[in-house]
Amino acid sequence: MITLEHITKRYGDHVAVDDLSFEVADGDVAVLIGPSGCGKTTTLRMINRLIEPTSGRILIDGTDATTLKPEELRRHIGYAIQSVGLFPHLTVAENIATVPKLLGWKPARIRARATELLDLVGLDPSQYAEKYPRQLSGGEAQRIGVARALAADPPVLLMDEPFGAVDPLNRDRLQVEFAKIQRELKKTVVFVTHDVDEAIRLADKIALMRLGHLEQYDSPEAVLDHPASKFVHDFVGADAALKRLARVRADTVMRTDVPVAQDGAAAVAIAAGQTARFIYLTDTNGALEGWLDRSVLERGTPLVDAATRIDWREAAIGPDASLKEALSRMLALGYRSVPVVDDAGRLLGDVSLADVERTMEAGDAHVAEPGEEAPGSTDVPAAADAVGE
Amino acid sequence: MDRVAFAGAAIALAGVTLLPFAEFRANRIVSGETFRAWSSAGLLGWLLVALTVACLGAAVLPLRYRGPGVLAAGVAGFSAWVFAVGGSAARLMPGGDSAARVSIAGGAWLALVGIAIVWFQGHHLTSSRAHVAAVAVAVAAVLAAWYLDGLPKVSLVYEYRVQSDTFWTLVSNHIELSLGGVAIAAALGVPLGIASTRAAAVRATVIPAAGIVQTVPSLALYGLLVIPLGMLGLPTLGAVPALIALTLYALLPIVRNTYLGVSGVDPAIIDAGRGMGMGRGEMLWRVEIPLALPLVLEGLRASLVMTVGIAAVMGIIGAQTLGVLVFQGFGSIAPDLVLLGAVPMVVIAIIADQGIRALERTIVSPGIRIRAGQD
Repeated sequence: MITLEHITKRYGDHVAVDDLSFEVADGDVAVLIGPSGCGKTTTLRMINRLIEPTSGRILIDGTDATTLKPEELRRHIGYAIQSVGLFPHLTVAENIATVPKLLGWKPARIRARATELLDLVGLDPSQYAEKYPRQLSGGEAQRIGVARALAADPPVLLMDEPFGAVDPLNRDRLQVEFAKIQRELKKTVVFVTHDVDEAIRLADKIALMRLGHLEQYDSPEAVLDHPASKFVHDFVGADAALKRLARVRADTVMRTDVPVAQDGAAAVAIAAGQTARFIYLTDTNGALEGWLDRSVLERGTPLVDAATRIDWREAAIGPDASLKEALSRMLALGYRSVPVVDDAGRLLGDVSLADVERTMEAGDAHVAEPGEEAPGSTDVPAAADAVGE
Repeated sequence: MDRVAFAGAAIALAGVTLLPFAEFRANRIVSGETFRAWSSAGLLGWLLVALTVACLGAAVLPLRYRGPGVLAAGVAGFSAWVFAVGGSAARLMPGGDSAARVSIAGGAWLALVGIAIVWFQGHHLTSSRAHVAAVAVAVAAVLAAWYLDGLPKVSLVYEYRVQSDTFWTLVSNHIELSLGGVAIAAALGVPLGIASTRAAAVRATVIPAAGIVQTVPSLALYGLLVIPLGMLGLPTLGAVPALIALTLYALLPIVRNTYLGVSGVDPAIIDAGRGMGMGRGEMLWRVEIPLALPLVLEGLRASLVMTVGIAAVMGIIGAQTLGVLVFQGFGSIAPDLVLLGAVPMVVIAIIADQGIRALERTIVSPGIRIRAGQD
């Protein structure tokens, strides 16, 4: 747990951080966000004493940070920054080994740890361990930066725009991976960003700062639904409802009892006995291959033409994708629902436009709560209701 | 066609056919009489002509044979050159008259340059086994020309034989003084360069001071040293003032490059290191110095090459360096004596340069080497 008590930082007459107090619970991600000069980075850097506060106390698991030697404190707090700052003269493995080496770990343990961390961040150790930073792409470097921060398994992680220097596509991927790693490792994270979407996606708590003040410290849902001030409202933007969709995982709202058939003939049989207009088609392993439109079939169209064949890698989403991604996939492909598949392309269910609408209307009671009607159980068209044409 | 080798061969051919190859003077005072290679060295001269033509031919060999062909032609050309030079001296020198001199003339020097280009290009195109073989052949040729041909009678070699004891003393003094000056300068300059990155006051004093020293001509610097040396009771002539002057000269490139190297480390890298709990010492030894190393070595290299040159000038103030031979040669109108001093200096400078480059390949991390992708 990280506790900031009345933290103030002055530079001469300028007050960078003004009487800031908040707490980050164990295993939570607290995202500091706000316009440039709001003091978010200063606040982050005071936690590991790269900057000393003018007044106030910072407690890490109840220990006053000022009672420890700064170097000793920092070796037990992971640190990742936007510019990454990998040591260019050291290999990837040696970079990751930085803190373990400072802590005097045995070489064998350091090697094993580097391998483990490369696996964790999704880079093949045999291929990457001996590379030098200049041989890495931006996204790879940022991954190594995160791996290096995690090297000594610190309970606390400080991240200053760690995904800020990569292109949007890569940033998206890195955010998804980080969320996955965080679910596994449950670190106490303080994360600085200026990207509202990133904050909403990753945060358990958002600390919105302005001119050194804390404007609001609350869950992303609360910040979106009940902004504490006009500033907060303006900062998160008018599309709060849309942003909230980024907080909802597809597998929490998807319909799982979708009609499925393994080949065209079986699909016809199911179609005859069902009201649903669309039937998903899978191969013998359960991997999604396409769907069948019953209304087309009824017009006497041959089976081959009534079936739509798709590549699940493009037309489907994963269970941990957000509803925002589901919606954007529907809009991009021109369908009113999108199938949800696992890593191997096996059909898990689907999410329809109606599910998305219901979630938006539900407001902060977005995740199917007890008593609420299970999403997707009404007679919404099962899949692939082509929009327009 | 290999253009470099072809150009080298053409230079060699032009040198050996169009310009005088050897010069005979009855003594140091009279003006000389020049000879073409074939008239001074006879058949050996024609052999040299033939081999420079062979170099031209090697440059246009099919690609498969070109590398070994060019190297072989280059080494053969060099061997023929040595024999032609020795042969000229053997034929032109009258027996027993030590006042007469047979010197290597302009055409022969030009031919040597052209042949060297062919050799280096061949070197570049072949493997290290071929390199060793080439050097072995060349050494054998020089030895053979020494014992079987007239190489010892060539003026340059003659001067060496007269001076051989002092020559090697001068060579070793020259090396000791240059290396010593750079070693002291490095011992002072690297810490000063690092201190300059830590304290603005140090930077504002040390770097301009080292810069001013560099702009003072070497003899003037020595002149300025005489007074403080005298006051301290230190010798004002010979090795001691020379070493001090060389150290002062060598200081600037080392201090400046160390400062630039350390201060040029990306601030993000320093921030990351600090954020991970590196102390000042760990930062310096594990991050800043390794990252500054390429520039520091570059400074050392520049200092060393410069010092080898300035050490020669120190011959004037009584430091026993190769400069002594150069000044003696000028004083007694003996161009070959000048060469005897100058050529080894060039060789020492090249070895120093290559030595530092080799050191760089060994101790600089492949992650930050400037010439990426090498070894």
